[in-house]
Amino acid sequence: MDAGSFLSALTPLNIAFAFFGVVAGTVIGSIPGLTATMAVAVLVPITFSMEPASALILLGAIYTGAIYGGAYAAILLNTPGTPSAIATTFDGYPMAQRGEGDLAVALACFASVFGGLVGALALLFLAPPLSRVALAFGPVEYFWLAIFGLSLIASLSTGNLLKGLAGGAFGLILSTVGVAEISADIRLTFGSQTMIGGFGVVGALIGLYCIPVLIDLAATPDRHLSIETGVQSVRVGEAARVAMRSKFNLLRSSIIGTLVGILPGAGGSVAGLVAYSEARRSARPEQRFGEGEPDGIIATEAANNATVGGGFIPTLVLGIPGTPPDAVILGALLVQGVRTGPGLFQSGGGSIAYTFIYGLIIATLLMLPVGLLIGRYAYKSIVAIPKAMLVPSVGFMTLIGTFAIRNSVSDVIIMIGLGVFGWVVSRFGFAASPIVLGLILGPIAEQGFVQTWIIGSATENLPGMFFGRPISQAIVAFTLLSLMYPVFAARRRRRAGVDRGAGS
Amino acid sequence: MSNKVENDTGGQLGSLIVSAVFVIVGVVTLYDSLSYSDIDSKVFPRAAAIVLIVCSMLSIVGSLLRPVREPGFGRGAWWRRILLVVSMLAACLAMPQLGFLPAGFIAFGGTLMASMHDRWTIQAAAVFLTSSILIMVGFYSLFRFVLNVPLP
Repeated sequence: MDAGSFLSALTPLNIAFAFFGVVAGTVIGSIPGLTATMAVAVLVPITFSMEPASALILLGAIYTGAIYGGAYAAILLNTPGTPSAIATTFDGYPMAQRGEGDLAVALACFASVFGGLVGALALLFLAPPLSRVALAFGPVEYFWLAIFGLSLIASLSTGNLLKGLAGGAFGLILSTVGVAEISADIRLTFGSQTMIGGFGVVGALIGLYCIPVLIDLAATPDRHLSIETGVQSVRVGEAARVAMRSKFNLLRSSIIGTLVGILPGAGGSVAGLVAYSEARRSARPEQRFGEGEPDGIIATEAANNATVGGGFIPTLVLGIPGTPPDAVILGALLVQGVRTGPGLFQSGGGSIAYTFIYGLIIATLLMLPVGLLIGRYAYKSIVAIPKAMLVPSVGFMTLIGTFAIRNSVSDVIIMIGLGVFGWVVSRFGFAASPIVLGLILGPIAEQGFVQTWIIGSATENLPGMFFGRPISQAIVAFTLLSLMYPVFAARRRRRAGVDRGAGS
Repeated sequence: MSNKVENDTGGQLGSLIVSAVFVIVGVVTLYDSLSYSDIDSKVFPRAAAIVLIVCSMLSIVGSLLRPVREPGFGRGAWWRRILLVVSMLAACLAMPQLGFLPAGFIAFGGTLMASMHDRWTIQAAAVFLTSSILIMVGFYSLFRFVLNVPLP
């Protein structure tokens, strides 16, 4: 860490790269189907002729912008622009529906900037010690982390836990379609070649979240989003006050995002879900998560942007990418001749690492004005555009976005089919979110479970493998707490009500 | 009043049918798992299938013993819903033959007609046609030429 690296990051060229990266990333991330990984991968070739530090700054800015950009579609269209923004839809879209989309967009921006800064500061000050966390996580910890994420089903299925669990189990089954990762058995394809690749997560997300909205929008003449008193600009001041009130949630979610980002393979979607789950568990009685609660957006967006800095910790220190975009950036680094490892943070290679980290901080700060400005126009456009133009435009985006993932027409047909299925079942109490949770967390849970099972069987210590490791025990305890806390809280409220009644 | 009747009948029956479909999915998954050669491939889908079957059956029993009102399909024009889905599927089927952009016109046109609730006028048609072409060509160019996606 030195002043020279800071000044190197502050050159007009690097600031221009950071600005361009944030704008490009935000726009790409806001288009359903284009993920942060794709945004980074598509723009990697541009960086080959650049200085290594500038290339890293540009890629980091694109990545952080894309993760934030996913919130726009999640809030305004109920479609996560990137998988990291899944939990943003839970409260973002209800807020937009009741006319507070402008506030939701501004809140997402503040939370993303805060989370991004916490992740980048962790990368700046704590990278070598924190990278050990990645090595402490074995298959069993991943398994329990996935189960912790799945425990969110309990709180997402208020009033109908059985249907939520059924939806989650259905999502888990969908996640097993195709070639099994460990044993290479072909499962649930029924002889179809197109199913061998399995259900793509992004296509499934687009189908399950976006198609039902389009079907509902087309069927009735109701407005897409209600507006209270004409179109407002983004409510910056109000959003800042709400974010300040939720500073503990902001900090906790950012730390969760940083820690989950460090874990290879977990990523922004898991971080957002875990942070949302914790925010919901610790909610005040008057907070209504799932019905447009600002704290839900704050938790998710702070966590998913914190994974950017967190994910770079194992990438730069250990050479193990924390998230898929990190893997692409790692490839770009190797092309540039930069060798990752602890030495990158010491003399010599250190200047590049620190210039990059300062550049990432600058890009994250630039996200505040850029994000609010783009958010303002995105919100105004979505509420002003006639429904007869909005529905076909979004429909066309879903087609082209899903096709672009694997260049497959079959994926688009599966996306539409899943969307229609999601719309039908949601009409009878089976929400899309538990299905999506199962689909996303299924592969992580299965791989962790099977590997733990194999190791436990080989060492003849299955209970010890599943329950004997300290980190596993902590995650199991948090999972139980998440599942039981709503019951305890309801009982405590009832008891308090009885006591008050007896006192009066 | 009519809405209430709809909630009481359609929602309840639909919930039972969806739960029954999930039970069938679980049974099919269990059956399919018999053909896997490795025990590692069987454990997880079987566990998920059992959870799915148990939860769905309990949901059926719960719905019969203690009916809960579900929204059902609610109000809205069915022809618009069907037109939207059919035009998108038709575009997918036409894509390999016609190419992405002409097939996209089928989806765009169908969904536009499905979601048009105002009266058609010549001016509105001209504005929508122009906007549609601009949006589709814009996105096509972005994906085809900037992002190098090999669109058919």
